[in-house]
Amino acid sequence: MPTLVRKTLREYRRAMIGWAVGIGVFIGMYLSFYPQMHANPDLYGQLAMSKYPENIRWMLGGLESISTGAGFLQAVIYQLFVPMLFIGCAVVLGNRAVAAPEESGTLELAVTLPVTRQRLLLERFAALALALLAVYAVTLAVVAGAGAAVDLGVGFDRIITAHTGLLLLGLFFGVLTVAVGAATGRKAIGLAVAGVYAVAGFVVNALSRDVEGLRWLTWASPFRYYAAGNPLAHGFPLGDYLLLLGASVVLALTAVLAFDRRDVGV
Amino acid sequence: MTAVVETEGLTKYYGRRRGLDDLTMEIRPGEVFGYLGPNGAGKTTTIRLLLDVIRPSRGTLRVLGGDPRDPRVRARIGYLPGELALEGREKARDYLEFLAGVRGGVAPGRIEALAERLEADLSVRMGKLSKGNKQKVGLIQAFMHDPEFLILDEPTSGLDPLVQQEFLSMVRDARAGGATVLMSSHVLAEVEHVSDRVGIVRGGRLVAVEDVAALREKAVRRVELHFDAPVPAEAFADLPGVRDLKVEGASVRCTIDGRPDALIKAAARFTVVHMVSAEPDLEEIFLTYYSEEMHHAHAGA
Repeated sequence: MPTLVRKTLREYRRAMIGWAVGIGVFIGMYLSFYPQMHANPDLYGQLAMSKYPENIRWMLGGLESISTGAGFLQAVIYQLFVPMLFIGCAVVLGNRAVAAPEESGTLELAVTLPVTRQRLLLERFAALALALLAVYAVTLAVVAGAGAAVDLGVGFDRIITAHTGLLLLGLFFGVLTVAVGAATGRKAIGLAVAGVYAVAGFVVNALSRDVEGLRWLTWASPFRYYAAGNPLAHGFPLGDYLLLLGASVVLALTAVLAFDRRDVGV
Repeated sequence: MTAVVETEGLTKYYGRRRGLDDLTMEIRPGEVFGYLGPNGAGKTTTIRLLLDVIRPSRGTLRVLGGDPRDPRVRARIGYLPGELALEGREKARDYLEFLAGVRGGVAPGRIEALAERLEADLSVRMGKLSKGNKQKVGLIQAFMHDPEFLILDEPTSGLDPLVQQEFLSMVRDARAGGATVLMSSHVLAEVEHVSDRVGIVRGGRLVAVEDVAALREKAVRRVELHFDAPVPAEAFADLPGVRDLKVEGASVRCTIDGRPDALIKAAARFTVVHMVSAEPDLEEIFLTYYSEEMHHAHAGA
Protein backbone atom coordinates (compact mmCIF):
# COMPACT_ATOMS: atom_id res chain seq x y z
CA MET A 1 0.00 0.00 0.00
CA PRO A 2 1.43 3.45 -0.84
CA THR A 3 2.92 5.28 2.14
CA LEU A 4 0.50 8.19 2.07
CA VAL A 5 -2.57 5.94 1.90
CA ARG A 6 -1.29 3.92 4.85
CA LYS A 7 -0.53 7.04 6.83
CA THR A 8 -3.94 8.56 6.08
CA LEU A 9 -5.71 5.37 7.08
CA ARG A 10 -3.77 5.37 10.33
CA GLU A 11 -5.03 8.90 10.97
CA TYR A 12 -8.59 7.80 10.13
CA ARG A 13 -8.47 4.67 12.27
CA ARG A 14 -10.14 5.97 15.41
CA ALA A 15 -12.85 7.82 13.51
CA MET A 16 -13.42 4.77 11.30
CA ILE A 17 -13.86 2.48 14.30
CA GLY A 18 -16.10 4.99 16.03
CA TRP A 19 -18.41 5.45 13.08
CA ALA A 20 -18.53 1.75 12.22
CA VAL A 21 -19.45 0.86 15.80
CA GLY A 22 -21.94 3.73 16.05
CA ILE A 23 -23.74 2.92 12.82
CA GLY A 24 -23.59 -0.80 13.64
CA VAL A 25 -25.20 -0.28 17.06
CA PHE A 26 -27.87 1.92 15.51
CA ILE A 27 -28.70 -0.74 12.92
CA GLY A 28 -28.68 -3.55 15.47
CA MET A 29 -30.95 -1.65 17.82
CA TYR A 30 -33.53 -0.80 15.18
CA LEU A 31 -33.50 -4.26 13.69
CA SER A 32 -34.25 -5.67 17.14
CA PHE A 33 -37.66 -3.92 16.97
CA TYR A 34 -38.61 -5.90 13.89
CA PRO A 35 -40.03 -9.07 15.50
CA GLN A 36 -42.49 -6.96 17.45
CA MET A 37 -43.71 -5.20 14.31
CA HIS A 38 -43.84 -8.40 12.34
CA ALA A 39 -45.92 -10.04 15.06
CA ASN A 40 -48.44 -7.19 15.17
CA PRO A 41 -49.29 -6.39 11.57
CA ASP A 42 -52.58 -4.78 12.68
CA LEU A 43 -50.75 -2.20 14.69
CA TYR A 44 -48.02 -1.43 12.19
CA GLY A 45 -49.63 -2.54 8.95
CA GLN A 46 -50.62 -0.51 5.98
CA LEU A 47 -53.92 0.67 7.39
CA ALA A 48 -52.40 1.86 10.61
CA MET A 49 -49.65 3.75 8.84
CA SER A 50 -52.03 5.44 6.45
CA LYS A 51 -53.13 7.80 9.19
CA TYR A 52 -49.84 9.62 8.75
CA PRO A 53 -49.82 12.37 6.10
CA GLU A 54 -48.49 11.06 2.84
CA ASN A 55 -45.49 13.38 2.75
CA ILE A 56 -44.30 12.20 6.10
CA ARG A 57 -44.70 8.61 5.04
CA TRP A 58 -42.62 9.17 1.94
CA MET A 59 -39.97 10.92 3.95
CA LEU A 60 -39.77 7.85 6.13
CA GLY A 61 -39.63 5.57 3.16
CA GLY A 62 -43.17 4.61 2.41
CA LEU A 63 -44.13 2.83 5.61
CA GLU A 64 -46.66 0.81 3.56
CA SER A 65 -45.08 -2.47 4.26
CA ILE A 66 -43.24 -1.88 7.47
CA SER A 67 -44.39 -5.24 8.80
CA THR A 68 -42.53 -7.12 6.05
CA GLY A 69 -38.78 -7.65 6.24
CA ALA A 70 -37.83 -5.74 3.09
CA GLY A 71 -40.25 -2.89 3.88
CA PHE A 72 -38.94 -2.57 7.40
CA LEU A 73 -35.35 -2.58 6.29
CA GLN A 74 -36.03 0.04 3.66
CA ALA A 75 -38.03 2.34 5.94
CA VAL A 76 -35.99 2.10 9.08
CA ILE A 77 -32.45 1.50 7.87
CA TYR A 78 -31.93 2.55 4.27
CA GLN A 79 -34.34 5.43 3.91
CA LEU A 80 -33.06 8.21 6.11
CA PHE A 81 -31.09 7.55 9.25
CA VAL A 82 -28.34 5.23 8.15
CA PRO A 83 -27.64 7.09 4.88
CA MET A 84 -27.37 10.33 6.85
CA LEU A 85 -25.02 8.69 9.36
CA PHE A 86 -22.95 7.26 6.55
CA ILE A 87 -22.80 10.65 4.89
CA GLY A 88 -21.81 12.18 8.21
CA CYS A 89 -18.93 9.73 8.51
CA ALA A 90 -17.81 10.41 4.93
CA VAL A 91 -17.95 14.19 5.40
CA VAL A 92 -15.95 14.07 8.62
CA LEU A 93 -13.28 11.87 7.02
CA GLY A 94 -13.38 13.90 3.81
CA ASN A 95 -12.66 17.09 5.67
CA ARG A 96 -9.54 15.53 7.10
CA ALA A 97 -8.03 15.03 3.65
CA VAL A 98 -7.10 18.64 2.89
CA ALA A 99 -9.10 21.26 4.77
CA ALA A 100 -8.31 20.15 8.33
CA PRO A 101 -4.54 19.72 7.83
CA GLU A 102 -4.46 22.97 5.91
CA GLU A 103 -6.19 24.86 8.72
CA SER A 104 -3.94 23.33 11.34
CA GLY A 105 -0.85 24.00 9.22
CA THR A 106 0.36 20.43 8.78
CA LEU A 107 -0.39 20.42 5.06
CA GLU A 108 2.44 22.86 4.34
CA LEU A 109 5.15 20.31 5.02
CA ALA A 110 3.19 17.62 3.16
CA VAL A 111 3.07 19.59 -0.11
CA THR A 112 6.82 20.18 0.01
CA LEU A 113 7.55 16.45 0.01
CA PRO A 114 8.74 14.91 -3.25
CA VAL A 115 5.22 13.89 -4.21
CA THR A 116 3.10 15.71 -6.77
CA ARG A 117 -0.02 17.38 -5.50
CA GLN A 118 -2.08 15.18 -7.80
CA ARG A 119 -0.69 12.07 -6.18
CA LEU A 120 -1.06 13.50 -2.69
CA LEU A 121 -4.76 14.10 -3.31
CA LEU A 122 -5.37 10.84 -5.15
CA GLU A 123 -3.85 8.89 -2.28
CA ARG A 124 -6.09 10.76 0.15
CA PHE A 125 -9.07 9.80 -2.03
CA ALA A 126 -7.94 6.20 -2.02
CA ALA A 127 -7.67 6.26 1.77
CA LEU A 128 -11.15 7.77 2.05
CA ALA A 129 -12.60 5.08 -0.22
CA LEU A 130 -10.87 2.32 1.77
CA ALA A 131 -12.04 3.78 5.08
CA LEU A 132 -15.64 3.94 3.85
CA LEU A 133 -15.30 0.43 2.49
CA ALA A 134 -14.31 -0.75 5.97
CA VAL A 135 -17.29 0.99 7.58
CA TYR A 136 -19.43 -0.50 4.81
CA ALA A 137 -18.15 -4.02 5.47
CA VAL A 138 -18.73 -3.82 9.22
CA THR A 139 -22.23 -2.37 8.92
CA LEU A 140 -23.13 -4.80 6.14
CA ALA A 141 -22.17 -7.65 8.44
CA VAL A 142 -24.38 -6.15 11.16
CA VAL A 143 -27.39 -5.86 8.84
CA ALA A 144 -26.91 -9.41 7.56
CA GLY A 145 -26.20 -10.85 10.99
CA ALA A 146 -28.93 -9.02 12.91
CA GLY A 147 -31.29 -9.50 9.98
CA ALA A 148 -30.82 -13.23 10.15
CA ALA A 149 -31.24 -13.18 13.92
CA VAL A 150 -34.63 -11.47 13.72
CA ASP A 151 -35.76 -13.48 10.68
CA LEU A 152 -35.97 -10.53 8.34
CA GLY A 153 -36.28 -12.87 5.41
CA VAL A 154 -34.38 -10.64 2.99
CA GLY A 155 -31.77 -12.31 0.78
CA PHE A 156 -28.10 -11.42 1.32
CA ASP A 157 -27.79 -10.43 -2.34
CA ARG A 158 -30.51 -7.79 -1.87
CA ILE A 159 -28.89 -6.53 1.33
CA ILE A 160 -25.55 -6.18 -0.45
CA THR A 161 -27.27 -4.35 -3.26
CA ALA A 162 -28.92 -1.84 -0.93
CA HIS A 163 -25.82 -1.49 1.20
CA THR A 164 -23.65 -0.83 -1.83
CA GLY A 165 -25.89 2.14 -2.59
CA LEU A 166 -25.08 3.39 0.89
CA LEU A 167 -21.36 3.11 0.18
CA LEU A 168 -21.68 4.95 -3.12
CA LEU A 169 -23.83 7.68 -1.58
CA GLY A 170 -21.36 8.14 1.26
CA LEU A 171 -18.44 8.14 -1.14
CA PHE A 172 -20.10 10.82 -3.24
CA PHE A 173 -20.54 13.18 -0.28
CA GLY A 174 -17.09 12.34 1.06
CA VAL A 175 -15.48 13.12 -2.28
CA LEU A 176 -17.56 16.31 -2.49
CA THR A 177 -16.21 17.39 0.89
CA VAL A 178 -12.64 16.61 -0.14
CA ALA A 179 -13.18 18.53 -3.37
CA VAL A 180 -14.49 21.63 -1.60
CA GLY A 181 -11.58 21.38 0.83
CA ALA A 182 -9.10 20.95 -2.02
CA ALA A 183 -10.47 24.03 -3.74
CA THR A 184 -10.93 26.29 -0.71
CA GLY A 185 -8.89 24.80 2.13
CA ARG A 186 -11.71 25.52 4.58
CA LYS A 187 -13.41 22.92 6.77
CA ALA A 188 -16.52 24.99 7.40
CA ILE A 189 -17.18 25.44 3.70
CA GLY A 190 -16.79 21.72 3.02
CA LEU A 191 -19.13 20.88 5.86
CA ALA A 192 -21.70 23.48 4.78
CA VAL A 193 -21.69 22.49 1.11
CA ALA A 194 -21.97 18.76 1.81
CA GLY A 195 -24.52 19.22 4.60
CA VAL A 196 -26.82 21.56 2.70
CA TYR A 197 -26.56 19.44 -0.44
CA ALA A 198 -27.37 16.25 1.46
CA VAL A 199 -30.41 17.69 3.22
CA ALA A 200 -31.67 19.53 0.13
CA GLY A 201 -31.07 16.47 -2.03
CA PHE A 202 -33.00 14.28 0.36
CA VAL A 203 -35.93 16.69 0.72
CA VAL A 204 -36.21 17.37 -3.01
CA ASN A 205 -36.16 13.66 -3.73
CA ALA A 206 -38.75 12.87 -1.07
CA LEU A 207 -41.13 15.71 -1.92
CA SER A 208 -40.88 15.32 -5.68
CA ARG A 209 -43.22 12.35 -5.53
CA ASP A 210 -46.02 14.75 -4.66
CA VAL A 211 -44.84 18.12 -5.80
CA GLU A 212 -44.82 18.26 -9.58
CA GLY A 213 -42.73 21.46 -9.59
CA LEU A 214 -39.81 19.74 -7.89
CA ARG A 215 -39.62 16.75 -10.16
CA TRP A 216 -37.26 18.34 -12.68
CA LEU A 217 -34.79 18.97 -9.84
CA THR A 218 -34.40 15.36 -8.80
CA TRP A 219 -31.77 14.71 -11.44
CA ALA A 220 -29.42 16.71 -9.21
CA SER A 221 -30.25 14.79 -6.06
CA PRO A 222 -27.84 11.97 -5.22
CA PHE A 223 -30.69 10.34 -3.28
CA ARG A 224 -32.59 9.74 -6.49
CA TYR A 225 -29.81 7.50 -7.80
CA TYR A 226 -29.44 5.96 -4.40
CA ALA A 227 -33.05 4.97 -3.85
CA ALA A 228 -35.12 5.41 -7.00
CA GLY A 229 -34.63 1.83 -8.12
CA ASN A 230 -35.66 0.49 -4.71
CA PRO A 231 -32.80 -1.98 -4.75
CA LEU A 232 -34.20 -4.08 -1.89
CA ALA A 233 -37.26 -4.84 -3.97
CA HIS A 234 -35.93 -4.76 -7.51
CA GLY A 235 -32.27 -5.69 -7.39
CA PHE A 236 -29.07 -3.99 -8.51
CA PRO A 237 -29.74 -0.59 -10.13
CA LEU A 238 -26.58 -0.63 -12.23
CA GLY A 239 -27.26 2.60 -14.15
CA ASP A 240 -28.05 4.64 -11.05
CA TYR A 241 -25.07 3.33 -9.12
CA LEU A 242 -22.73 3.95 -12.02
CA LEU A 243 -24.00 7.51 -12.19
CA LEU A 244 -23.24 8.02 -8.48
CA LEU A 245 -19.79 6.53 -8.91
CA GLY A 246 -19.18 8.54 -12.08
CA ALA A 247 -20.15 11.77 -10.32
CA SER A 248 -17.64 10.96 -7.56
CA VAL A 249 -14.90 10.35 -10.12
CA VAL A 250 -15.64 13.64 -11.89
CA LEU A 251 -15.62 15.48 -8.57
CA ALA A 252 -12.34 13.85 -7.60
CA LEU A 253 -10.69 14.89 -10.87
CA THR A 254 -12.01 18.43 -10.46
CA ALA A 255 -10.55 18.46 -6.96
CA VAL A 256 -7.15 17.38 -8.27
CA LEU A 257 -7.14 20.19 -10.84
CA ALA A 258 -8.26 22.78 -8.30
CA PHE A 259 -5.72 21.69 -5.68
CA ASP A 260 -2.89 21.71 -8.19
CA ARG A 261 -3.53 25.32 -9.05
CA ARG A 262 -3.75 27.09 -5.80
CA ASP A 263 -1.68 28.46 -2.94
CA VAL A 264 -1.66 26.29 0.16
CA GLY A 265 -2.14 27.73 3.62
CA VAL A 266 -2.77 31.40 2.85
CA MET B 1 28.17 26.25 -11.49
CA THR B 2 24.51 27.14 -11.71
CA ALA B 3 22.94 29.05 -8.88
CA VAL B 4 20.95 27.12 -6.30
CA VAL B 5 18.28 29.79 -6.27
CA GLU B 6 17.72 32.25 -9.06
CA THR B 7 14.75 34.59 -8.98
CA GLU B 8 13.86 37.43 -11.26
CA GLY B 9 11.15 39.96 -10.57
CA LEU B 10 9.52 37.49 -8.21
CA THR B 11 6.31 39.06 -6.94
CA LYS B 12 3.49 37.72 -4.82
CA TYR B 13 0.18 39.31 -4.05
CA TYR B 14 -2.30 37.91 -1.56
CA GLY B 15 -5.44 39.32 -3.06
CA ARG B 16 -4.55 42.98 -3.17
CA ARG B 17 -2.03 42.82 -0.35
CA ARG B 18 1.55 42.68 -1.49
CA GLY B 19 3.59 39.88 0.06
CA LEU B 20 6.75 40.17 -1.99
CA ASP B 21 7.73 42.76 -4.54
CA ASP B 22 10.06 42.28 -7.47
CA LEU B 23 12.64 40.05 -5.80
CA THR B 24 15.71 39.35 -7.85
CA MET B 25 18.35 37.35 -6.07
CA GLU B 26 20.80 34.55 -6.40
CA ILE B 27 22.01 32.00 -3.90
CA ARG B 28 25.27 30.35 -4.87
CA PRO B 29 26.17 26.72 -4.43
CA GLY B 30 27.80 25.96 -1.11
CA GLU B 31 27.02 29.20 0.64
CA VAL B 32 25.03 29.88 3.77
CA PHE B 33 22.65 32.68 3.01
CA GLY B 34 21.07 34.53 5.91
CA TYR B 35 17.72 35.98 5.01
CA LEU B 36 16.91 38.75 7.40
CA GLY B 37 13.97 40.95 8.08
CA PRO B 38 11.32 41.73 10.65
CA ASN B 39 8.16 39.64 10.88
CA GLY B 40 5.89 40.20 7.92
CA ALA B 41 8.68 41.49 5.69
CA GLY B 42 8.29 38.74 3.09
CA LYS B 43 10.76 36.10 4.26
CA THR B 44 8.24 33.33 4.63
CA THR B 45 6.54 34.34 1.38
CA THR B 46 9.86 33.98 -0.44
CA ILE B 47 10.52 30.60 1.15
CA ARG B 48 7.05 29.27 0.37
CA LEU B 49 7.50 30.36 -3.24
CA LEU B 50 10.82 28.48 -3.42
CA LEU B 51 9.05 25.31 -2.26
CA ASP B 52 5.97 25.67 -4.46
CA VAL B 53 3.65 25.93 -1.47
CA ILE B 54 2.39 29.14 -3.05
CA ARG B 55 2.69 30.31 -6.64
CA PRO B 56 4.17 33.59 -7.86
CA SER B 57 1.91 36.35 -9.15
CA ARG B 58 4.73 37.52 -11.43
CA GLY B 59 8.35 36.79 -12.13
CA THR B 60 10.39 33.64 -12.45
CA LEU B 61 12.28 31.37 -10.11
CA ARG B 62 14.56 28.41 -10.49
CA VAL B 63 15.66 26.21 -7.63
CA LEU B 64 18.57 23.76 -8.07
CA GLY B 65 18.33 24.46 -11.77
CA GLY B 66 14.71 23.35 -12.02
CA ASP B 67 11.14 24.21 -11.17
CA PRO B 68 10.16 23.50 -7.53
CA ARG B 69 6.86 22.21 -8.89
CA ASP B 70 8.86 19.18 -9.97
CA PRO B 71 8.92 16.70 -7.07
CA ARG B 72 12.44 15.62 -8.09
CA VAL B 73 13.62 19.14 -7.27
CA ARG B 74 11.84 19.10 -3.91
CA ALA B 75 13.41 15.73 -3.14
CA ARG B 76 16.78 17.49 -3.00
CA ILE B 77 15.57 20.11 -0.51
CA GLY B 78 15.22 19.90 3.26
CA TYR B 79 12.66 22.31 4.63
CA LEU B 80 11.84 23.60 8.07
CA PRO B 81 8.63 25.65 8.01
CA GLY B 82 8.50 28.85 10.03
CA GLU B 83 5.32 27.85 11.77
CA LEU B 84 5.81 24.15 12.12
CA ALA B 85 2.56 22.37 12.92
CA LEU B 86 2.80 18.85 14.28
CA GLU B 87 -0.21 17.19 15.78
CA GLY B 88 -1.94 13.94 16.44
CA ARG B 89 -1.40 10.88 18.56
CA GLU B 90 1.45 9.58 16.46
CA LYS B 91 4.87 9.37 18.09
CA ALA B 92 7.48 11.74 16.73
CA ARG B 93 9.68 8.81 15.65
CA ASP B 94 6.86 7.24 13.62
CA TYR B 95 6.20 10.55 11.93
CA LEU B 96 9.85 10.96 11.01
CA GLU B 97 9.92 7.43 9.66
CA PHE B 98 6.84 8.16 7.59
CA LEU B 99 8.52 11.25 6.12
CA ALA B 100 11.67 9.24 5.46
CA GLY B 101 9.52 6.63 3.70
CA VAL B 102 7.97 9.24 1.42
CA ARG B 103 11.47 10.48 0.64
CA GLY B 104 12.53 6.99 -0.33
CA GLY B 105 14.38 6.23 2.89
CA VAL B 106 17.26 7.85 4.76
CA ALA B 107 20.61 6.52 5.91
CA PRO B 108 20.17 4.01 8.74
CA GLY B 109 20.69 5.49 12.19
CA ARG B 110 20.55 9.02 10.80
CA ILE B 111 17.35 9.98 12.64
CA GLU B 112 18.73 8.62 15.91
CA ALA B 113 22.03 10.42 15.47
CA LEU B 114 20.33 13.75 14.82
CA ALA B 115 17.96 13.23 17.74
CA GLU B 116 20.90 12.55 20.00
CA ARG B 117 22.71 15.62 18.78
CA LEU B 118 19.74 17.86 19.47
CA GLU B 119 18.69 15.92 22.55
CA ALA B 120 15.23 15.40 21.14
CA ASP B 121 12.82 12.94 22.71
CA LEU B 122 11.18 11.04 19.85
CA SER B 123 8.96 8.83 21.99
CA VAL B 124 6.54 11.69 22.67
CA ARG B 125 3.24 11.92 20.83
CA MET B 126 3.26 14.74 18.31
CA GLY B 127 0.39 16.63 19.88
CA LYS B 128 2.22 16.68 23.22
CA LEU B 129 5.59 17.98 22.02
CA SER B 130 6.85 21.17 23.64
CA LYS B 131 7.71 24.07 21.38
CA GLY B 132 11.41 23.34 21.60
CA ASN B 133 10.96 19.64 20.92
CA LYS B 134 8.68 20.40 17.98
CA GLN B 135 11.39 22.57 16.49
CA LYS B 136 13.92 19.76 17.01
CA VAL B 137 11.68 17.27 15.20
CA GLY B 138 11.35 19.86 12.42
CA LEU B 139 15.13 20.20 12.19
CA ILE B 140 15.63 16.44 12.14
CA GLN B 141 13.20 15.99 9.25
CA ALA B 142 14.91 18.81 7.35
CA PHE B 143 18.43 17.39 7.80
CA MET B 144 17.79 13.64 7.82
CA HIS B 145 17.99 12.96 4.09
CA ASP B 146 21.19 15.01 3.74
CA PRO B 147 19.67 17.37 1.19
CA GLU B 148 21.70 19.47 -1.22
CA PHE B 149 19.74 22.54 -0.23
CA LEU B 150 18.43 23.36 3.23
CA ILE B 151 15.70 25.96 3.57
CA LEU B 152 15.21 26.85 7.21
CA ASP B 153 12.59 29.40 8.20
CA GLU B 154 13.39 30.86 11.63
CA PRO B 155 15.30 27.72 12.62
CA THR B 156 16.43 28.89 16.04
CA SER B 157 13.06 29.97 17.39
CA GLY B 158 12.13 27.99 20.47
CA LEU B 159 15.59 26.47 20.92
CA ASP B 160 17.58 27.11 24.07
CA PRO B 161 21.08 28.59 23.61
CA LEU B 162 22.97 25.29 23.90
CA VAL B 163 20.80 23.61 21.31
CA GLN B 164 21.15 26.71 19.12
CA GLN B 165 24.91 26.19 19.18
CA GLU B 166 24.47 22.54 18.23
CA PHE B 167 22.15 23.57 15.42
CA LEU B 168 24.70 26.06 14.10
CA SER B 169 27.33 23.35 14.08
CA MET B 170 24.92 21.15 12.11
CA VAL B 171 24.64 23.95 9.58
CA ARG B 172 28.44 24.19 9.39
CA ASP B 173 28.67 20.42 8.90
CA ALA B 174 26.10 20.58 6.12
CA ARG B 175 28.06 23.32 4.40
CA ALA B 176 31.28 21.38 4.80
CA GLY B 177 29.49 18.49 3.09
CA GLY B 178 28.76 20.75 0.13
CA ALA B 179 25.18 21.73 0.96
CA THR B 180 23.74 25.18 0.39
CA VAL B 181 21.72 26.75 3.18
CA LEU B 182 19.10 29.46 3.20
CA MET B 183 18.09 30.45 6.71
CA SER B 184 15.82 33.24 7.74
CA SER B 185 15.80 35.16 10.96
CA HIS B 186 14.71 38.47 12.32
CA VAL B 187 17.86 38.71 14.41
CA LEU B 188 21.21 39.05 12.68
CA ALA B 189 23.12 37.78 15.70
CA GLU B 190 21.51 34.36 15.19
CA VAL B 191 22.88 33.91 11.70
CA GLU B 192 25.97 36.09 11.40
CA HIS B 193 28.38 33.46 12.68
CA VAL B 194 27.47 30.91 10.04
CA SER B 195 26.34 33.06 7.13
CA ASP B 196 28.51 33.90 4.18
CA ARG B 197 26.08 36.46 2.88
CA VAL B 198 22.99 38.09 4.25
CA GLY B 199 20.01 39.49 2.38
CA ILE B 200 17.87 42.04 4.09
CA VAL B 201 14.21 42.16 3.21
CA ARG B 202 11.76 44.75 4.35
CA GLY B 203 8.21 45.58 3.36
CA GLY B 204 8.28 42.88 0.68
CA ARG B 205 11.42 44.28 -0.97
CA LEU B 206 15.02 43.12 -0.86
CA VAL B 207 16.86 46.10 0.57
CA ALA B 208 20.42 44.83 0.48
CA VAL B 209 22.55 41.77 -0.04
CA GLU B 210 25.86 41.89 1.77
CA ASP B 211 28.85 39.74 2.32
CA VAL B 212 29.15 39.14 6.05
CA ALA B 213 32.92 39.76 5.86
CA ALA B 214 32.29 43.02 4.02
CA LEU B 215 29.63 43.94 6.55
CA ARG B 216 32.18 43.42 9.31
CA GLU B 217 34.60 45.61 7.46
CA LYS B 218 31.99 48.34 7.35
CA ALA B 219 31.28 47.94 10.98
CA VAL B 220 31.72 50.84 13.31
CA ARG B 221 34.22 49.89 15.94
CA ARG B 222 34.98 51.74 19.17
CA VAL B 223 38.66 51.77 20.00
CA GLU B 224 40.55 52.94 23.07
CA LEU B 225 44.35 53.25 23.20
CA HIS B 226 46.42 53.95 26.29
CA PHE B 227 50.07 55.09 26.10
CA ASP B 228 52.87 55.32 28.61
CA ALA B 229 53.03 59.12 28.17
CA PRO B 230 50.72 61.90 26.92
CA VAL B 231 50.45 62.00 23.13
CA PRO B 232 49.99 65.04 20.84
CA ALA B 233 46.48 65.32 19.38
CA GLU B 234 47.87 66.28 15.97
CA ALA B 235 49.39 62.82 15.57
CA PHE B 236 45.88 61.37 15.31
CA ALA B 237 44.11 64.19 13.50
CA ASP B 238 42.64 63.60 10.05
CA LEU B 239 43.34 59.89 9.93
CA PRO B 240 41.18 58.17 7.29
CA GLY B 241 38.24 56.33 8.80
CA VAL B 242 38.71 57.72 12.28
CA ARG B 243 35.85 59.68 13.84
CA ASP B 244 34.79 61.10 17.21
CA LEU B 245 38.43 61.49 18.19
CA LYS B 246 39.15 62.39 21.80
CA VAL B 247 42.75 62.75 22.94
CA GLU B 248 43.08 63.20 26.70
CA GLY B 249 46.60 63.00 28.08
CA ALA B 250 47.91 59.49 27.57
CA SER B 251 44.68 58.04 26.15
CA VAL B 252 42.98 58.17 22.77
CA ARG B 253 39.35 57.28 22.19
CA CYS B 254 37.69 57.12 18.78
CA THR B 255 35.43 55.12 16.49
CA ILE B 256 36.67 53.72 13.24
CA ASP B 257 34.78 52.85 10.10
CA GLY B 258 36.12 49.76 8.45
CA ARG B 259 39.82 49.05 8.61
CA PRO B 260 41.81 50.09 11.66
CA ASP B 261 45.03 50.26 9.65
CA ALA B 262 45.70 54.04 9.69
CA LEU B 263 45.01 54.29 13.42
CA ILE B 264 47.34 51.40 14.23
CA LYS B 265 50.13 52.91 12.19
CA ALA B 266 49.70 56.30 13.87
CA ALA B 267 49.69 54.69 17.31
CA ALA B 268 52.74 52.60 16.53
CA ARG B 269 54.95 55.68 16.82
CA PHE B 270 54.26 55.75 20.58
CA THR B 271 54.40 53.12 23.28
CA VAL B 272 51.04 51.42 23.59
CA VAL B 273 50.39 49.96 27.04
CA HIS B 274 46.74 48.97 26.64
CA MET B 275 44.20 48.67 23.84
CA VAL B 276 40.45 48.01 23.87
CA SER B 277 38.50 47.27 20.71
CA ALA B 278 34.85 46.31 20.96
CA GLU B 279 33.48 43.57 18.69
CA PRO B 280 31.73 45.29 15.81
CA ASP B 281 28.01 45.34 16.25
CA LEU B 282 26.58 44.05 13.00
CA GLU B 283 23.14 44.58 14.41
CA GLU B 284 23.86 48.26 14.36
CA ILE B 285 24.74 48.27 10.67
CA PHE B 286 21.77 46.13 9.99
CA LEU B 287 19.59 48.71 11.67
CA THR B 288 21.12 51.55 9.70
CA TYR B 289 19.89 49.84 6.54
CA TYR B 290 16.47 49.80 8.04
CA SER B 291 16.49 53.37 9.19
CA GLU B 292 17.75 54.51 5.79
CA GLU B 293 15.03 52.58 4.13
CA MET B 294 12.48 54.11 6.46
CA HIS B 295 13.95 57.50 5.80
CA HIS B 296 13.46 56.97 2.04
CA ALA B 297 9.96 55.79 2.64
CA HIS B 298 9.15 58.93 4.59
CA ALA B 299 10.80 61.13 1.99
CA GLY B 300 8.76 59.39 -0.67
CA ALA B 301 5.55 59.95 1.23
